[in-house]
Amino acid sequence: MSTQSSPSVFSRWLSVLFNYKKHSGSWAWILHRITGLGLTFYILLHIVALTGLLKGEAAFNAEMKLFSSPFFLFGEWLLGTLVVFHAVNGIRIVLVDLGNGAKYHKQILKFVYVLSFIFIAGMGYLIFSHI
Amino acid sequence: MNTNTFKFYGSGNSGAKNWYIQRISGIVLVVVLIGHYILMHATPESGHTYQAVMERLHQPIWKIIDLTFITLGLWHGLNGTWNVIRDFTLKQWVVTTLYTILIVIALAFWFLGVNTILSF
Repeated sequence: MSTQSSPSVFSRWLSVLFNYKKHSGSWAWILHRITGLGLTFYILLHIVALTGLLKGEAAFNAEMKLFSSPFFLFGEWLLGTLVVFHAVNGIRIVLVDLGNGAKYHKQILKFVYVLSFIFIAGMGYLIFSHI
Repeated sequence: MNTNTFKFYGSGNSGAKNWYIQRISGIVLVVVLIGHYILMHATPESGHTYQAVMERLHQPIWKIIDLTFITLGLWHGLNGTWNVIRDFTLKQWVVTTLYTILIVIALAFWFLGVNTILSF
């Protein structure tokens, strides 16, 4: 590898992504990155949205009313799926990196998917039972 | 690979410190997030009105929690983005530009958030 990139860095990256043999851990890695980038974008939005507190009570409550509409609740649930997977798989990464998880990372990954599914379903129930 | 490429863009030369802080901040964020979700989603009525937010924000402990959350969240997210960028073989000026953008985003949004928290 050199520091000079070819004109098609992104397409080269895509071809590696599609041609590389992917084991279960590769999918976890890909999902962890996608969810991570999504969450980073969301935390920026979140910070901007909460500056509404500075506009006073009426403006903030109106904003919160908008955010509790079904459209935003569904978005909240989608966001929750990203949070849940990133958090649960993040614990797996910590177990692999700082604990003895490298020996069991595939078993832990199955556990990650099951746990994520349970949390996502539970959160969907909590969110949508309040509509 | 030219090992000098990222010499001045991480924490030191190896990035080991950043890797470690990424893990530690991740653990802290999971713990704070559990509290955040119980407060905001298990009982949505408790979290979302102006009155409820004000009551919390006038207590120093909540300011400390929120400041921790915002600082670690931004650092974890933007350092993660930097990790993604580092996986590509990019031209030096692209790397420099992206790194500068990340720093600007980090500072701008951190001050925006801290300003909101400390205004009350």
